[in-house]
Amino acid sequence: MCEWCEKYGDGYERWYFNPGNYARRLYKIRKEEAEALGAEADPQAAGGMAFVGQDFLEARERGDVATVEQIKQQVEGISWITHFGQVLTLEEALKIVDIMYPIGLMTCACRRSMQGLPDEENFTCMGVGTGMYKWERWPDTYRGGVHFLTPDEAKEVLAKLNKRGLVHTVFTFGTPYLAGLCNCDYPDCAAIRTVVDLGIRVLWKGHYVARIDPELCNGCASCVHRCQFRALSFSPSKNKAIIDQFQCFGCGLCATECDQDAITLVERANLPALANVW
Amino acid sequence: MLPTVTVDDQKCADPLSCRKCLLICPTHVLGLGTDVPIKKFRETDPEHFIVRGVRVDKCTGCLDCVEVCPQNAIQVSFSGGGAR
Repeated sequence: MCEWCEKYGDGYERWYFNPGNYARRLYKIRKEEAEALGAEADPQAAGGMAFVGQDFLEARERGDVATVEQIKQQVEGISWITHFGQVLTLEEALKIVDIMYPIGLMTCACRRSMQGLPDEENFTCMGVGTGMYKWERWPDTYRGGVHFLTPDEAKEVLAKLNKRGLVHTVFTFGTPYLAGLCNCDYPDCAAIRTVVDLGIRVLWKGHYVARIDPELCNGCASCVHRCQFRALSFSPSKNKAIIDQFQCFGCGLCATECDQDAITLVERANLPALANVW
Repeated sequence: MLPTVTVDDQKCADPLSCRKCLLICPTHVLGLGTDVPIKKFRETDPEHFIVRGVRVDKCTGCLDCVEVCPQNAIQVSFSGGGAR
């Protein structure tokens, strides 16, 4: 079982469907914890939103497994207390905008960092919950401002971003306080590239795994470009798409693109070998 | 092999609006940070944005960033040689 659902689900099907995790009282806790951890815990520290520094890359380069493992555990430990994400399907993201408020469409800090994307092209991130009312205090975090959305408007935006090929994710800001509904892609999303390239789990896989029905797959390959996690490839000999289900994050972007309905999402929990692969 | 990517922040005055190196890098090695912490009620001024090698493990040494920089602010060197 997902340990976050276990700890913070409080009877709800998923921890991110528990309205308590968007509540204001948690916003307070986050501040104290972040202060206790010091400046290093700031995920936006100078250096382009990087979760790890040169020391990690150098240790990896020289094959120093012990140091790599040590830094990895340290980074994951801090991230899981302060700021980490989990992948959602579109349906789950749509459900979340119905349970929390306000919803503020804002600019993506990751793409600003990696592409220098101008604010007007960069409104792909959603800040949710009470913290958003304080956005004017932090003009740098909210460069370009905030557009407050109704739940219906938020659903339209999410559907559009899904069409564009972005992965929906939910992020904590002082776990379990959930305040970010992000729409991400490799490699500019700091979380996706950190987990995919470096194996550091600052982004957890979602509750689903995609599977292909080979009878229905017509080999059009229109799904292949949708995968941001290197889980989807194409077999020329079978003329079918193939999913590496161990690598699949369960975002469902491939499924929403398939016009043959050949890709379905199955519960991770129902596959014994994947039930604990997060 | 990991390169050393050096950016002369004096020469690179406004990377947020220039961003040529960020866009040309085929493997998205470079990223923007700031040399000051985020402050309440203040947007960070453009001159405090800095370019750094964020994903240097993905640098191939093609030097496209070095060539595209209008200020000649970027240097990439591999200690094993073959760089400039």
